[in-house]
Amino acid sequence: MKYALLLVALLSASSLIAEKTPADKETQPNEQSKNITVVCAECTPAEAMQLTQKGAPVKSQPAAEEVLTKKQDIRISVIGQGVAPMTTSSPAQAYALAKRAATADAYRLIAEKVKGVRIEGQDLIKNMMVQRSTIRSSVDAMVKNANVVETTFKEGLCEVEMEILISHSQFAQ
Amino acid sequence: MRSRDGNLNFSLSICSIIFLLFNFTPLKADEYLISYRYVVKDAMLYHEAFHIAKAMKKCVGTPQKELILDINHENDLKIIISQNFDTFIEYLQKLGFHIKHQERTQELQNISTTILTLQTTCFEVDFNDTFVKITPLK
Repeated sequence: MKYALLLVALLSASSLIAEKTPADKETQPNEQSKNITVVCAECTPAEAMQLTQKGAPVKSQPAAEEVLTKKQDIRISVIGQGVAPMTTSSPAQAYALAKRAATADAYRLIAEKVKGVRIEGQDLIKNMMVQRSTIRSSVDAMVKNANVVETTFKEGLCEVEMEILISHSQFAQ
Repeated sequence: MRSRDGNLNFSLSICSIIFLLFNFTPLKADEYLISYRYVVKDAMLYHEAFHIAKAMKKCVGTPQKELILDINHENDLKIIISQNFDTFIEYLQKLGFHIKHQERTQELQNISTTILTLQTTCFEVDFNDTFVKITPLK
């Protein structure tokens, strides 16, 4: 009988402890949630705010990069800028020259996006001080079938919007 | 007395005209070599060069998409192109440009040079009464 009473007392005590432990955990949710990071790719700012208020820091994930597939073509759109020289005989000439420069810039941007840029950096350090810092970048490409979408000319600056449609077959060799 | 066969000279001339029409009407088109290059320095057009010359040798290649320009009573292709230069350049852009760009940033100052080149391409040129048809051969 004594043993039975002792067993009941032990069981009740253990059940009391078991009830108390989750309650303690509930009182300190922030400590655990600090270690959780919610990754939200397509959250609106309001949704992100809601998640932050709940205690979990929200880490915005960049949208998935567009990849060229056999089924889907990629449209690349760029805006090239060019300025007219100071010495032009007429506004029309200024426009024509600025447009030419803007077109070249747009072509360069397309080439950079499609083929990539070669970057070289060089720092000259003397007596623990940077004497000269140089960055060189170069692009070498061939661009075909680019279309001019829109051309604007305002205050000596010409902007050419250019786009190109890239299909998988152009790269399959 | 007049022959029942009709006028022989007249029928011969008609026959020769028909022969010429069928054999020589699509006169062989001229072939021209065209190259174009322009340099843009620091977002400004620095130098532009356009070269056109008649091909000394027969060009080999398949005709691509053609361009039609009004000739305005001109026979010289260089003048015709210069009169429609923007149209022609836009057409060349479709054919494709080789791009070479170099940029240097030193002490927070940026210097850039972009060179766009249309490599020497052979064009078949058909002159007509009111227009000229320019077709690249590749």
